[in-house]
Amino acid sequence: MVSSPFNILVIEPGDADARELSSLLDSCAPLDARGESGPESRAMDVAVRVVGSVPAALAAFDCIRPHLLVFGPHAGAAPEPRSVHQLRARAGMEPVPVLAVLDEHALPADGVGAGCDDVLRRPYNRHLVRLKLVALRRYCQFNRNLIAQCNRMRRSQSDLLKEQAGAQEIFRNMGRESCLEQTDAIRYHLSPRAVLNGDVLAAAWAPGGKLMLLLGDFTGHGLAAAVGAVPLTSIFYSMVPKGFTLSQIARELNLKLHLVLPRSMFCCAVLLELDPRKQHLRVLNAGMPSACLCRAGGGIQMLESRHLPLGVVRWLNLEEAVQYVPLEPGDWLYLWSDGIHEARGPSGELFGEERLLATIRNAFPAARFERILAEISRFSVGQQDDLSLVELSLDQITAETVEIGEPLPDPPGTGHFGDWSFGVTLAAEDLRQMDPVPLMHRVLAQFPESGRLRDTLSIVLGELFNNAIEHGLLQLDSSLKRSEHGFGEYYRRLESGRRQLQDGWIRIRLSSCRAGGDCGLLVSVSDSGPGLPARTGAANAYSGRGLALLQSICRRVEWQPGASEVRALLSWEQEENSPWEREGAPAKV
Amino acid sequence: MLMFEQTASRVSTQLSDGGEALTIRIDGNFDFNLHSEFQRAYRDCNPAPKSYSVDLSDTRYLDSAALGMLLLLRDHSLEGQDDGGQRHTVELVNANDHVAKVLAVSNFDKIFTIR
Repeated sequence: MVSSPFNILVIEPGDADARELSSLLDSCAPLDARGESGPESRAMDVAVRVVGSVPAALAAFDCIRPHLLVFGPHAGAAPEPRSVHQLRARAGMEPVPVLAVLDEHALPADGVGAGCDDVLRRPYNRHLVRLKLVALRRYCQFNRNLIAQCNRMRRSQSDLLKEQAGAQEIFRNMGRESCLEQTDAIRYHLSPRAVLNGDVLAAAWAPGGKLMLLLGDFTGHGLAAAVGAVPLTSIFYSMVPKGFTLSQIARELNLKLHLVLPRSMFCCAVLLELDPRKQHLRVLNAGMPSACLCRAGGGIQMLESRHLPLGVVRWLNLEEAVQYVPLEPGDWLYLWSDGIHEARGPSGELFGEERLLATIRNAFPAARFERILAEISRFSVGQQDDLSLVELSLDQITAETVEIGEPLPDPPGTGHFGDWSFGVTLAAEDLRQMDPVPLMHRVLAQFPESGRLRDTLSIVLGELFNNAIEHGLLQLDSSLKRSEHGFGEYYRRLESGRRQLQDGWIRIRLSSCRAGGDCGLLVSVSDSGPGLPARTGAANAYSGRGLALLQSICRRVEWQPGASEVRALLSWEQEENSPWEREGAPAKV
Repeated sequence: MLMFEQTASRVSTQLSDGGEALTIRIDGNFDFNLHSEFQRAYRDCNPAPKSYSVDLSDTRYLDSAALGMLLLLRDHSLEGQDDGGQRHTVELVNANDHVAKVLAVSNFDKIFTIR
């Protein structure tokens, strides 16, 4: 098979010499590489074109597209370096070998010195000339393949960058759902390419003024790492405002990732829930570097990973994995991805956790965030571009909850619906897993003017429901929560007790009354337990906040030691009696 | 210009005499570059071994891609469970401090035997 010919451009002013050279080169055809396979071995015809001068060669260059240039005997005796250079430049990326014809006794350096690659000796040896052409043809073919490959790669690289830019924009837009920009209490650093490194940060307010935050790190990088962020953040942003608990959200995220991710991919994540009014933090660390809690008193507590990353196994075992931490005013929390540990210095040394903790210890709280970033940048000489760092000033989150919890709009066509009530009874099987708050919200949302009660109801229902489980059914002892260790222990007992519930029930009833002295929303929660314990001792830093909180946001809280029912009356006029304004007001039991 | 990075890492395997236990050794960095080599190491065993051991004594470093590869091996071993529910195990042995830390942070001890 004969493909397009091997084009040779000869520069020779002398007619006789030109004819001789031209017929010699023609006679070498076909050029084939014996003993080779593949496209390079195909026989190739030779097409010779003769011009009389360098300017004529330059003029003809583009239409001939030569694979090889030959300076004939007259031109070749003393080729001008400048001409050789000009001709080469015309070829662009593709190297075109240049030969000079020299007489037997001339020094090869004459031709090569002028920039030629090789010489042809005269008188010609047809056999040697043919060998040289075959070799050059192979060389040219190789270069063409390489350039073609290079162009393909450049095209696909530019396609990839376009796709990545598109993905980045989608993720930037998705980030608008977050509350990260609404508060000064959260500071964060993410590289602009974070999502392509697999890093994801999401935060949203949950009903009742709780903050939920997620920092995730998918395995791998590029688009494969980025796509996992879509189900992750969409589930997060859809579940958090509905009041689902940390465990429920974690389970849902894990299950979804388990179903959609390839088996070798997973997502390390820290998911946290901060309740500023009860001053405590729940943290699930699944495969991320330890989160760092800097205590107001100067101590540091690491919240280490206690679970497999999300997406690895179908069901999460959260009983031991969720950590409960009581907070004190002036605490700060730091989260980071392993990009920080793995930042490398110029000699390849890792930045590591120890250096990071030393930086944290030595910096003033207000300057810590910048100091950490500055230290890493100094250490890695500015080469580190995939680190994610989040700082939470836990105090400020408390202070700023006033601004959140925008009431839901009333459903259209509202009027006063009058009195209504509904109830739900959950049996042991449901109580092991279920959280009734999102359910009650969905029902309540159907009634006019109920939107403004969303936050208050979340808090009240949450408190009463937890109270019924913890003290009514499981008979847990609050005094355990007095020490930091006991605090964690208390919640471990709660999780495991709840998981093992065999019988018992909790009944929740919401009733609305639009007139009279009891005008408001009555929330009543009762359980099958033997009766709530009488409160023992004074409340301490870690327990006893629940009741005080209820009393501060409800018109009335009714509860008897020994009885199994608690009733709380919420006022419809929540705007005037915002729970945040009334905090610290005298209890009205 | 494209550069091909040569990794000095190696995957080597050893099958016990009865063909029941396969040991896979990783020398050097256990990362994405070993992806196909690592899969080849256990895929072509017929009949499938009953237990797999990944010897990490000469593994310097292990990244999250390597964790993913270990998950694939675990899946492969679970697929092989056809003989009356007998458990096919995967154990990870002789990890250095760095590697052990990565395994611990990921809580891989919950799904692998780590010695």
